[in-house]
Amino acid sequence: MSDKEMELLEGACLTLEQLCAAGAIERAWLVERVEAGLIPASGGRFAAAALVRVRRMREIERAYEAAPELAALVADLLEEMDALRARLARGR
Amino acid sequence: MEFKDYYKILGVERDAATEAIKTAYRKLARKYHPDVSKEKDASERMKEVNEAWAVLGDPEKRAAYDRLGAGPQPGQDFRPPPDWDQGFEYSGGERGFSPEEAAGFSDFFSEIFGRMGRGGAAGTGGFSRARAGEHHARILLDLEDSFTAPTRQISLQSPKVDDKGRLTLETRTLNVKIPRGIREGQMIRLAGQGAALRGERNPGDLLLEVGFRPHPRLVPDGRDLHTTIPVAPWEAALGAVVPVDLPDSTVNVRIPAGAEPGRQLRVRGKGLPSDPPGDLYFDIRIVAPPAETPKAREAWETLKSESQFDPRKEWRARA
Repeated sequence: MSDKEMELLEGACLTLEQLCAAGAIERAWLVERVEAGLIPASGGRFAAAALVRVRRMREIERAYEAAPELAALVADLLEEMDALRARLARGR
Repeated sequence: MEFKDYYKILGVERDAATEAIKTAYRKLARKYHPDVSKEKDASERMKEVNEAWAVLGDPEKRAAYDRLGAGPQPGQDFRPPPDWDQGFEYSGGERGFSPEEAAGFSDFFSEIFGRMGRGGAAGTGGFSRARAGEHHARILLDLEDSFTAPTRQISLQSPKVDDKGRLTLETRTLNVKIPRGIREGQMIRLAGQGAALRGERNPGDLLLEVGFRPHPRLVPDGRDLHTTIPVAPWEAALGAVVPVDLPDSTVNVRIPAGAEPGRQLRVRGKGLPSDPPGDLYFDIRIVAPPAETPKAREAWETLKSESQFDPRKEWRARA
């Protein structure tokens, strides 16, 4: 595989289309939540972590017919838990 | 093919009302949520519960499923009767499950419901709507891979529609050259390697999200590495030089005299070999040697009588 075919992405690197495609989500669903400030974007682009966030939010919304704001709140808590678990691992 | 008893999976009676099924599903979805569940097989059970809900939560699918009866005796192979689904009209949709998720459901699901809408305008039914030319997967690397930049063979499963219109999981193998200095949270984009769910000529890109398997001593944090070095009390008091093995070298770490646990020290440029390279952060953990021999005991006694050290001074001073 040549270097041309492979690229390393980092930071806020994903476009809206890429995030929709990678997360298998509908554009309208994503746009609505980005406009409501529930999914952080920087200059219209998204970090890799947004993929995990949209997946979690979609699962919570689907399983509990939850309001998007509630799903975002759960995602916030899970992200904080991830950060604390990582901190715990570093302090071992 | 193994018959799936969706009622049993959700723990509901066959004549349960939709509301009762929904309640049962939500209870189990909470119990097996992969991010918080303490159950060992949480993600497998979650998949099963989602599959049961995709069927029993959908009136059309539930009616079709009920027509199959209670299934064969345990251990017996199951084959659906010919034309069992005649007269059912499916509107498609998997209760919000993506094609990737639906394709991860059992062979039973794929055989019974994967054919929905065949020959009709709906194509592959609910699976087609969210189809995407781009594909995403998470790959787990060893921390060493960031230093050695190996070529890794990765196996990916992606949904594919076969010639009978059924949705199945296709496994393919890719050789990926891991870039040196790679770190968690980065993504590798492979042009033209995405999923071609409906046989497009130009599949999209494949995005690989990078994660590391846990390393026994080193914990990555972006470009940096963290470790905790066990030291003897005298090494902390007098200072010491401790060799620390990194994946590509050994670095001699200088512990300063009077070092205390809980204070992070740094060795510049000894983190992941990114551009610029990260740093190695370390903390110390003081390990007290046991007073096993009379001589060791005597040494501790001497230290005790010579030292004015009060380990509980700060502790007592706390309001």
